[in-house]
Amino acid sequence: MGLGLLPSRFSRIPANRLFLRSIVSNSHRQSPEAAAAAVPPPEPTPDLPPRTPVAGARVHFPNPDDAIEVFVDGYPVKIPKGFTVFQACEVAGVDIPRFCYHSRLSIAGNCRMCLVEVEKSPKPVASCAMPALPGMKIKTDTPLAKKAREGVMEFLLMNHPLDCPICDQGGECDLQDQSMAFGSDRGRFTEVKRSVVDKNLGPLVKTVMTRCIQCTRCVRFATEIAGVQDLGMLGRGSGEEIGTYVEKLMTSELSGNVIDICPVGALTSKPFAFKARNWELKGTESIDVTDAVGSNIRIDSRGPEVMRIIPRLNEDINEEWISDKTRFCYDGLKRQRLNDPMIRGSDGRFKAVSWHDALTVVAEIVHEVKPEEIVGIAGRLSDAESMIALKDFLNRMGSNNVWCEGNGPNPNADLRSGYIMNTGISSLEKADVFLLVGTQPRVEAAMVNARIRKTVRASNAKVGYVGPPADFNYDYEHLGTGPQTLLEIVEGRHPFFSTISNAKNPVIIVGAGLFEREDKDAVFSVVEAIAKKGNVVRPDWNGFNVLLHNAAQAAALDLGLVPESNQSIVTAKFVYLMGADDADLDKIPKDAFVVYQGHHGDRGVYRANVILPASAFSEKEGTYENTEGCTQQTLPAVPTVGDARDDWKIIRALSEVAGVRLPYDNFGAIRSRIRTVAPNLSSLDEREPATFGFSVKPESNQKMSSTPFKAAVENFYMTDSITRASKIMAQCSAQLLKK
Amino acid sequence: MAFRLTGLKVSPNSATLEEARARVFDFFKAACRSIPSIMEIYNLHDVVTESQLRSSVASEIRKHAQVSNPKVIDLLLFKGMEELGNITEHAKQRHHIIGQYVVGGQGLVQDLSAKDQGNSDFLKKFYNSNYF
Repeated sequence: MGLGLLPSRFSRIPANRLFLRSIVSNSHRQSPEAAAAAVPPPEPTPDLPPRTPVAGARVHFPNPDDAIEVFVDGYPVKIPKGFTVFQACEVAGVDIPRFCYHSRLSIAGNCRMCLVEVEKSPKPVASCAMPALPGMKIKTDTPLAKKAREGVMEFLLMNHPLDCPICDQGGECDLQDQSMAFGSDRGRFTEVKRSVVDKNLGPLVKTVMTRCIQCTRCVRFATEIAGVQDLGMLGRGSGEEIGTYVEKLMTSELSGNVIDICPVGALTSKPFAFKARNWELKGTESIDVTDAVGSNIRIDSRGPEVMRIIPRLNEDINEEWISDKTRFCYDGLKRQRLNDPMIRGSDGRFKAVSWHDALTVVAEIVHEVKPEEIVGIAGRLSDAESMIALKDFLNRMGSNNVWCEGNGPNPNADLRSGYIMNTGISSLEKADVFLLVGTQPRVEAAMVNARIRKTVRASNAKVGYVGPPADFNYDYEHLGTGPQTLLEIVEGRHPFFSTISNAKNPVIIVGAGLFEREDKDAVFSVVEAIAKKGNVVRPDWNGFNVLLHNAAQAAALDLGLVPESNQSIVTAKFVYLMGADDADLDKIPKDAFVVYQGHHGDRGVYRANVILPASAFSEKEGTYENTEGCTQQTLPAVPTVGDARDDWKIIRALSEVAGVRLPYDNFGAIRSRIRTVAPNLSSLDEREPATFGFSVKPESNQKMSSTPFKAAVENFYMTDSITRASKIMAQCSAQLLKK
Repeated sequence: MAFRLTGLKVSPNSATLEEARARVFDFFKAACRSIPSIMEIYNLHDVVTESQLRSSVASEIRKHAQVSNPKVIDLLLFKGMEELGNITEHAKQRHHIIGQYVVGGQGLVQDLSAKDQGNSDFLKKFYNSNYF
């Protein structure tokens, strides 16, 4: 085994060198015989210094008495009872090669790559499936273990095609890496390789099933995490193959994750196929803005082009998954982009002008209208910097009619607990009863839904749902469709009320779609009454949550983007749309002057008189707050398109041309302005819980209508200007949406 | 070569900063002395005055005011002498001189209208590019 250096042994090499250096002196080097005589024989004690666990894994002991001690390569480690041999090795800092094992999926034990030697065991054991027993002596580095791995590699490569040069996984392929590390240097294979028919899994996942090594990670992901029974194992022996049982597409909002978990090139990204090699790409750690979850992503770019988006690990938000919308929306960043400032001429056509001219025109007109006729609407993808700039600018012009779309006509920005997810996404796992009010988390926030599904699977939590018929991938009880059901629950007439009040950690999730309702306050006060009676909010547990839809919503409410009057749009003469495409554009009067600042030629542009091109989330530094109140920031991965500028810079420049110069000239200055308004937005990557609950909220005397709740998201794949411009998202909505 | 300047040659390295500094002044004087003939060669009388050219040379030198390494100063001096030699030898054309020393680095298009005079630094950079 010429290349037989275990990756995990790299960590040991410096230690060995240190050891050598300490005993070899100059005189010894000159006379080796004397050195051999002088140096005492090496002690039989472990040659290994204490090692750090793989990937910084931390061990949690649920019960300190249940700790057992095992020896990994002679090094003793303490692990809780119930750990597998594999986990014990990880704690000891030994990285065991694996294909089928994945820490977030159930154990299959079918790839046999993780074979290790255990003393007094006649055969090598599959460490991922073997529970660790007290005093077990595990050897990961013996000739037997190495030979076993080499044998497994040989069997795996027997039917694996030698097409690495044309395989998209090349360079980030587990099979490639491990055959370099553990495989044999020659093959003994002369017969014909097996071939398997490719399956059509839809527009997102490309399959080359001949490359599959039957690790069944994708099957387990689909059934366990995604909750769809689409994939399965067919046939036996050499006829074994992964596929959909019948000719069917994979219809899950998380299907893209099978690309990441596939250890070989059997499942790869269809839009990314043959586009780039992974070593050509520059990764930028950023945040997803297509929903309010704020999934952590890495934007891989080559030159000025975003090539792909892949997830980043964040246990508190998205674990290691992202939704298909997040992963595949990037081709929307290349289409329908606005690249020059434009003014609509008298013939109704747009004419490209310079920034100077565009800003001068806007500044002149904004001075011609009365202050109360100025309206500003922030879009669903706006960052906190641009929203505070927009609010400051309009306030200096004398208007306070500024809001963020999706927050409804009469938002509650006073009590932070009334618009964020107070429980926190990761704490949803502790819940045992869920009450979903007017929210369909599967389409509104796929990662939150995955968390709820995880909880339901792990602890058999009960889910009650009030709203229109919807698609769930876990067991739920449909309680009703409208506010009437909520009244029944609060009065104790509904059996679900006792479920809530008997629960240990009940959770109520209210959808942000309710913000648009006329009787919003009444509905919220009923939900709060349920929370009060069901003991949902306690000092040690806050189970009252609002699930927002858009990346900008939480920050907008934190910054106080609340309109002065909710009829201002009807009387507006000057409307500033900052990426707002889903506002009520029909309500804007015909004679109003509309400025659209944004990155896509979407709905807002049709009504606009002036277009100011801005940068998209992949091109700017921006602060976003997710639905649980965690502040995160995007970083620029690619340069801006054409003559576009960052959002806050445009407003800052416009304010100066209009004669009401805003006092911030750089990013640091605008951040400190945000800090004075909403201090929680300045602590990045931290979740800031709300201080006050709804107990301090004044009583609402609004009348509740009996209109049933509506579905908030019609098309999961197309919710904002980027995803609406995306071709892949259009294909998905055509093929995958259930009709 | 009729226009070759006398006294322009590569000298040994300056030993100290003072020596280098003195050489810079010598070079500046040599350049100033050749300005009348440069005006003549390239027919610059209607576009620029002698004093403007002098201050242009001075600003080229001041660009490197922060350099304190005598070796670097020597190198820059060498490049300056080469440039001066090329100019006095008529190795350049008229638009080279106008482009480099008369119009300068600001380019030919200069918006000197009164309305932009009061703009802040931010706005000037904003009109120029997104990255600042």
